[in-house]
Amino acid sequence: MTPPAPRRGQGLVRPYVVTDGRAHPTRNTFDLVTLVIAQYDRPLGGLSPEKRRLMELCLGGALSVAEIAGHLALPVSVTKVLLGDLVDSGHLITRAPIPSAQLPEAQILQEVLDGLRARL
Amino acid sequence: MSHHIPDVVSWCLVAVLVAVAVLLVRQRGITAAVRRRVAALEDGLQTRDTEVRHLVTVRLPAVTASMHQPVPLPGLLDERLGGTVFAQGLQSVMDLFTQAVDKAQARADQSAKAALKASMRALQGLAHEQQLAISDMQERHDNPDVLRDLLQIDHANSQFGRRAQAIAVLCGSWPGRQRAASPLTDVVRGATSRIRDYRRVKVHNHADLAVVSRAVEPVVLAVAELLDNAARHSQPNTSVEVGLQPVHNGACVVIDDAGVGMNAQEVQRAAALLSGQRTVDVSRLGDPPQFGFPVIGVLAARYGFSVSVDTRSPYGGVRAVLFLPSALLSQIDLDGPDTTPLAPPARPGAPARTPTGAVRPPQHRAPAREHPEPAPDVFPPPAAPPADAGAVTGSTAGGLPKRRRRQPAAPLPAERPAAPSATVPDGPPAPGPAAAPPERTAEETARRMGAFARGTRSGRAAGTGPAGHPDPAPVDDEGNPYA
Repeated sequence: MTPPAPRRGQGLVRPYVVTDGRAHPTRNTFDLVTLVIAQYDRPLGGLSPEKRRLMELCLGGALSVAEIAGHLALPVSVTKVLLGDLVDSGHLITRAPIPSAQLPEAQILQEVLDGLRARL
Repeated sequence: MSHHIPDVVSWCLVAVLVAVAVLLVRQRGITAAVRRRVAALEDGLQTRDTEVRHLVTVRLPAVTASMHQPVPLPGLLDERLGGTVFAQGLQSVMDLFTQAVDKAQARADQSAKAALKASMRALQGLAHEQQLAISDMQERHDNPDVLRDLLQIDHANSQFGRRAQAIAVLCGSWPGRQRAASPLTDVVRGATSRIRDYRRVKVHNHADLAVVSRAVEPVVLAVAELLDNAARHSQPNTSVEVGLQPVHNGACVVIDDAGVGMNAQEVQRAAALLSGQRTVDVSRLGDPPQFGFPVIGVLAARYGFSVSVDTRSPYGGVRAVLFLPSALLSQIDLDGPDTTPLAPPARPGAPARTPTGAVRPPQHRAPAREHPEPAPDVFPPPAAPPADAGAVTGSTAGGLPKRRRRQPAAPLPAERPAAPSATVPDGPPAPGPAAAPPERTAEETARRMGAFARGTRSGRAAGTGPAGHPDPAPVDDEGNPYA
């Protein structure tokens, strides 16, 4: 799906104004394919214009982070900051499309550590 | 006979004495007159000497000084010289000197402006280029630490670009960038992007108005200068409040700060600068140079908005009001492609159909995609206001101008004939859509519309009548009885 060309004048509102100077999202749970779903019952008043547009986008159904960034014509990392805020305020919920990988067992790690200690 | 001689001698003596006395008296009078004349001439000479010295030491320096601030020029020292040839000579010396100073000043100002303008345009180009590079990097890097640094660089670069732009505008350049018509909210936030303390700016009342394409960059620059003034002259822990208010003849951007405010003299000077009537001399901006108000004045005069700063803010500082007349505003196009992103994307080449059924040519969005290009070329505004939407191709029978779409869609020939029949509700005896509709008179159009309305009403009455809904009084929606 090709993102539509940004209708707004690009480069007019700079990303640091959009995120209010923040670069780190409040949570580190987003990647490009994380699906985002809007909560319908949240009021949209008091949101910044970008957040409002993001909510309007997501009210149509689940969207991935990459798609949202494309529609908003914002860098993905900036979009993640906005998404983090909206998840914190309860406007959005996320669903990870990929199950998290199995962590290696503690026993194996312990054995590797012991082996390394024995060698060095 | 001899006794007469002494008489004669004495008479002669008396006569001679009398003559000598008369001569002496006369001589004395002449001498006194000559002495008076000499004294008067000496006095006149001295007065002229003093006058010449006064010219050199006071009057000519005053002419030079009056270049920097207008002061009344001193006149002659001695009123007695008024109207003499000497005074006229002095006056012509003054005039020549004034002209020479004026000319030299104008030439210096012009060359300073030309040099500043050229160098600032070069810097502006570099700032745009750098902004594009930064935007690319922001797209490419996903690491928040990198993004944080990029945001800082971006912020510094935006301020740098604004400074260069302001000086270039003051030197007679155009703002250097053509943008698409943008919502007023974005215009104000764009201005916020370009000042140092952008986090202190709070924008309220998001108005549904857009600024037309040619005014976007000037308004952004003017609002940025006002916001910068507001933030610079207030405490770092206070906020700068921005309100957007639609008013009868346009819209206002109201900027309140909680700073030190301005006294009456400063307000007067600011009003003179903001009116844009006075030509601004780049060499007289003070040290450090104050660009803000002169730049706003130049922009306001050139693009037709107005700015006033003469109101006291309720927060104690200055309230700056930027008034945009309706000519510089348009309504936000709510049917734009952005608000319906989940509709199936238009096939390339096929016309994008908006929910209202209006057909948009696909080229409509193409110019917006070219905007990040560095060259400050003039792009055609993608969202043109209806006033210049197309060339007038003729007029209807009622005298209204007929316009044609500015960008005739090339792949649309199959769609175009259907469009009029879909939007114009023709009466039952409607001609075929393919036939070129002949020119209708206003009466005929009204008759057809009336026939259509009567037909639909009678159809509805026929459908609901038997179910117990009698036809209401034959009065239309506006309360006018049917003829």
